[in-house]
Amino acid sequence: MSGKSGQSSKREESRTDKAIVADHLCKIFYTTKGVVRRTKKPVVAVKDISFTVDYGELFGIVGPNGAGKTTTIKMLTTMLIPTSGAATVLGYDVEKNVRKVRESIGIVLGGERGLYTRVNALQNLRYFADLYGVPTDVREKRVKKLLHFVGLWDRRNDRVETYSRGMRQRLHLARGLINDPKVIFLDEPTIGLDPEIAIETREMIKGLVKEGKTILLTTHYMYEADELCRRVAVIRKGEIVALDTPSALKKYVRDTSVVEIDAFGVTEKCVETLKKVPEVLAVTANLSEDKQVVKIQTPKGSEIISDLQEVLKECRINDIKIKEPTLEDAYLRLVEGKVK
Amino acid sequence: MPKPLRVTYSAFIMAMRHWIADPQWVIPNVIAPFVFTFVALTLFKNASESFAVNAVLGGGMMGMWGNTLYGSGFAINFERWQGTLEEVLAAPSNLMHVIAGRSIANALFGLINMVAILLIATLVFQVPLGIANPLLFSLAMVLTLLSVSALGLIFASSFVLTRSAQVMTNGLEFPIYIVSGSMVPIYFLPFWSHPISYVLGPTWGTDAIRWAGEFQNVPLTFWTNIVVMMLITLGYLVVAAFLFKKVGDKVRRDGSLMEA
Repeated sequence: MSGKSGQSSKREESRTDKAIVADHLCKIFYTTKGVVRRTKKPVVAVKDISFTVDYGELFGIVGPNGAGKTTTIKMLTTMLIPTSGAATVLGYDVEKNVRKVRESIGIVLGGERGLYTRVNALQNLRYFADLYGVPTDVREKRVKKLLHFVGLWDRRNDRVETYSRGMRQRLHLARGLINDPKVIFLDEPTIGLDPEIAIETREMIKGLVKEGKTILLTTHYMYEADELCRRVAVIRKGEIVALDTPSALKKYVRDTSVVEIDAFGVTEKCVETLKKVPEVLAVTANLSEDKQVVKIQTPKGSEIISDLQEVLKECRINDIKIKEPTLEDAYLRLVEGKVK
Repeated sequence: MPKPLRVTYSAFIMAMRHWIADPQWVIPNVIAPFVFTFVALTLFKNASESFAVNAVLGGGMMGMWGNTLYGSGFAINFERWQGTLEEVLAAPSNLMHVIAGRSIANALFGLINMVAILLIATLVFQVPLGIANPLLFSLAMVLTLLSVSALGLIFASSFVLTRSAQVMTNGLEFPIYIVSGSMVPIYFLPFWSHPISYVLGPTWGTDAIRWAGEFQNVPLTFWTNIVVMMLITLGYLVVAAFLFKKVGDKVRRDGSLMEA
């Protein structure tokens, strides 16, 4: 009896120890080709990912498109079954205790979709409250509280199709909180939002952490991860290549500086050539707008400028600055595989 | 209210809100029945009175079934288009209970379709549609509606896996009109097709509706039809629950929902 009780209390302890545990998670998808002779090709989306998230922590996952961020979130939220490995949320196994996990988490997927646009905000939230089994006596109070929290109370009776992108994202957030979850998964919650609304959204996320919620956030924006997350995991090609606090991750690039070139007429070919310049560790370029900015990471700092100017001799260079590296620079080095 | 019923009710209300918000429903529910009735009565204008009644009832059944089948495919694709399918699947409620609400709403619109046909036939074309036993006629209609909804659930489960739900519904629409006896009584059909007709709840429902339409004191056959239809409907629910479970596991394992 005592042995059994001891085991049970041990299990209970492990259940309450960490909010999220991912243990060697793998996910392989299969694509099929051909009509008569069908062949299956495996695509490894997530490869042996392990991490834990503490209660009340805001944990970030960053990585380029197709790195495996969303697949990881989908496994943790029971929407996908891992090919191998295991994961628990609040101690509940994501494969075996599906209902328990779903009852205790909130999911906010980024983008404009995911809401019923022909009905209003109140009707959207009431519907999801019913799907999550929120008691009817609690439902109305919670819907009202959430609409006030996201600043949509005055527009509660308007159809969602009349909402701006920012308003829709705020309604997404309210929907994700409808069951008062202990753990919230935010998949790129500020994607496509204008800066003002993105700042508002980040303030709301900070408010949730103050309330004691555990949050797992994926984002493309390093400044967002830097501002919000206590720890960040960087994923590349389905694997975690670094996991630490933002300040510790910045140490990966403390031996480098960033040469920022404000120019016009830079082409993709120039960027590729810049990458081949000796002592250049990473290059990013925003070529889509009138004002082009090229960032070059190098341990040589100003010593390398003449080499860079030589590559860009066909372009108009407006300004060159030497800057301290940021988390974004560390991230770029990590995802380009230039940090061991 | 028990949780599954609350989920179904909530999904039913949400489907009704969408139908009301979208005035396209007028086309299948008012204009199409008018055309159906006009064609049926023109074709059978010299036929007996009961034949005309059957033609009108058949048209109504076709409307009810068409709406449900179309609606079952549409229910899943609607969620897909809105981008809410993942959100709904991620909720702790059973997807079947959600789709059941939508399926009942669609069948109800089909019922409105049938009522519209009866009204158009009576008021516009002056067909004497005396219903011998209105109470049992209504009971048979409501139970047939539930049976059609349950059959719609079986189709809906497979529509989770595919984007081509609309193609499937279009392909299935007329075969089921024929084998369920909505278009022509099943005794006109070849013998080999009878087993298919008998496993369709609406076949028995259509028969029960006809009995209640013609007789004040319905024969025992009416009740036999009702009991068989309810047993078949229960069977549909069991099969649908099994399929939803299997399909749910498959999309979680393959990630096919993400691809679809």
